[in-house]
Parts: sequence; structure tokens; C-alpha cells
Amino acid sequence: MAANKSIISRVSSSVSDSPIVYRGKKAAADTGFVVKKLLLSTGKAAWIASTLFLVLAVPLIIEMDREQQLNELELQQASLLGTPTVSAPK
Amino acid sequence: MASLVPPPTPKPAEKVDYMNLPCPIPYEEIHREALMSLKPEVFEGFRFDFNKGLNQNFSLSHSVFMGPTEVPSQSNDTVIKVPTSHYEFGANFIDPKLMLIGRVLTDGRVNARLKCDLSENLTLKGNAQLTREPHMSHGMATFDYKGRDFRSQFQLGNGTLLGASYIQSLTPHLSMGGEVFWAGQARKSGVGYAARYNTDKMVATAQVASTGMVALSYVQKLSEKVSLATDFMYNYMSRDVTASFGYDYILRQCRLRGKIDSNGCASAFLEERLNMGLNFILSAELDHMKKDYKFGFGLTVGE
Repeated sequence: MAANKSIISRVSSSVSDSPIVYRGKKAAADTGFVVKKLLLSTGKAAWIASTLFLVLAVPLIIEMDREQQLNELELQQASLLGTPTVSAPK
Repeated sequence: MASLVPPPTPKPAEKVDYMNLPCPIPYEEIHREALMSLKPEVFEGFRFDFNKGLNQNFSLSHSVFMGPTEVPSQSNDTVIKVPTSHYEFGANFIDPKLMLIGRVLTDGRVNARLKCDLSENLTLKGNAQLTREPHMSHGMATFDYKGRDFRSQFQLGNGTLLGASYIQSLTPHLSMGGEVFWAGQARKSGVGYAARYNTDKMVATAQVASTGMVALSYVQKLSEKVSLATDFMYNYMSRDVTASFGYDYILRQCRLRGKIDSNGCASAFLEERLNMGLNFILSAELDHMKKDYKFGFGLTVGE
């Protein structure tokens, strides 16, 4: 029994101490670290990009839209009132 | 058939009348268009401006500001802000020949400006600033002489500040100039050169000074409403480099200016016309590097 146990323990210890397992563990830890860093930095980049978009582009889009609506309204009114700019149909 | 059509002759180069060049714009204003697009007056907090014209020449202005203002600190990374509020009272007298502008703030600052046409070509400008703190008050007088295709300027300020500048149109589009200055109290002197090329679609300027400053700017007018501007600033002494890019939209109901620079600082400034003589202002500035975020809103009543 004792010999059996010692064999199992010897095998398991030799497996856990083997350089392959050690390297695998290290690689797993490294990839975990890199992924964590990557996620953090992408999160930060996304935050910066989205706030910049919010400040620089959103007002522009809204104002351009308003301007377009105003133009359309004016065009509609012009066609309703029949200003001379509208060409006569032939 | 095709041979009958005369090939498009190259447009004859317009004969440039070098005796009749346009007058250049003043030396200190050569970056005018780029500054207009790239340097809106961003603020943090709330402001209210009220202008009232009493008669054709005379007008009064009242303005209230509330919000945090930055205090200069030793370390460059942190920003210290203290809440402040002030009221500013101003009186303007504007006449084609004479302009007088005065401003008084509740914290004791007084600012006065004067512009007076002494003759058709000679203009006197004055600027004075009085503060409570000692050695912070200053005054300056400037004589501008406007020639047919050149402008020259002579400056006199307190602290034995002397300066002169000259700018000349070389072709209808290109003007070049130079300046010298001498600050007696600070024992500094320098020279500077500038060039400006403008057509009705674009403006490009370059300026160098012996203080180590190099400034380049370029403004492209895409249409009547849209212009894009970019500038580049380099200081040889402190090795500071900044480049910025901005847009300027002038629409019927609003004017919107946005800018982003190489320090990661972005700002936007929106002036929305709500009604005749009533403007609503929104201002935003984000600086992710310093973690400094400024947002402000305001109202302007009167022209």
C-alpha cells in the first residue's frame, strides 16, 4: 500500500514538476495577463473615442440635420407659394 | 469635327500690376482666420452677457460669470480649480473715427481700449489694464501706419517695451513681413518674420521668431459655410510641439467650432441663435491626459 501510494505520489509530483507543465502554466498566466491588459486598454480607448465622438461629432450631426430640415421647409414653402424660382411646367 | 473645335487655350496669365497691390492685413493678425476657427473662447460654468445700445454710438454691456477658474499650480499634471463669480460692466463708444471701450470687473480689474484715426493713414491704438496686484498692470500704445500696399506699426509699452513691425504685399496673394521688439525690463529682444499666402479659398501663414517659436497655419474654406483649419506650433527652446485640427461651420441658426490637438485635448463650441438677439452658447473641452473636463453654457442677449 505504502509503496503504491509513494509511486502515485512520485508520478504526480514528477508530472507537476515537469518542465512542460511549468511552461504551460506560465504561458496560461502570461496570456491571461496580456488579455487583461488588452481588454483594459481597449476599454480605455473605446471610452476616449466615444467621448470624443460625443463632443466633436454629435453636435455637428444634429446641427446639419436641423439645417437640412430648414432648407426642406423653405423649399416646400417656396413651392406652395409658387415663387417665380419654380420653373413653369411645359 | 473635333479638329474644328479649338483646343482649350491656356488662360493667359493675368498681368500683375505690381504698383497696385492690395493692402496686407496687420502683422499681428496674420493668423486671424486660423485663430477664429481653432481658438474659441471655451469656458467652464455659466455666463450671461447683455448688451444694450443706448444710441447709435453708445452702448453698455453687463456680464455675469459663475464657475470654477483654474489656478496655476506647480505640478503640470493636476489642475486646481477654485469657484469664482464676477460681474463685468462695460461701456462702449463707437464712432467711425474713434472707438473707446472700457470694462470694469468686480474684483477690481479695469480694462480700457482706445482706437483713434489720427489721419487717413495713421491710427493710434491704446490698451491699458489695471489690476490690484502690483506689477500686473500694463499699458500699451500702438501707432499704425497704413500705406497703399504695406502696413507698419510702432509699439510702446510700459516696462520699456518697444516694438516695430512691417508687412508688405509682394504679389496679390502673398505678403511678407518682419518685426523687432525689445523689452527693457525683462532684458529680452528678438526679431520675427512672417509670411502669408491667401486666396479666396485658402489661407496659409508661417511665422518664426528668435524666441524659438515656429507657427504654421492653414485654413481651407470648403464652402461659404464650412472651413477647416489646421495649425502647427513648435517651440525650439522648450521643445514643445503641438498640432491641431479644427472645423468651423457657420450655418443659418448656429455656428459650431470643433478642434482636436495632438495633446489629446478636444473642444467644441456651439453658438445657437434662438431668436433675434438671443444666443445660446454651449462649450465643452475634454483633456483626457490631465483628466480635465470643462463644460459651460451661457446666454447672450443683444447683438
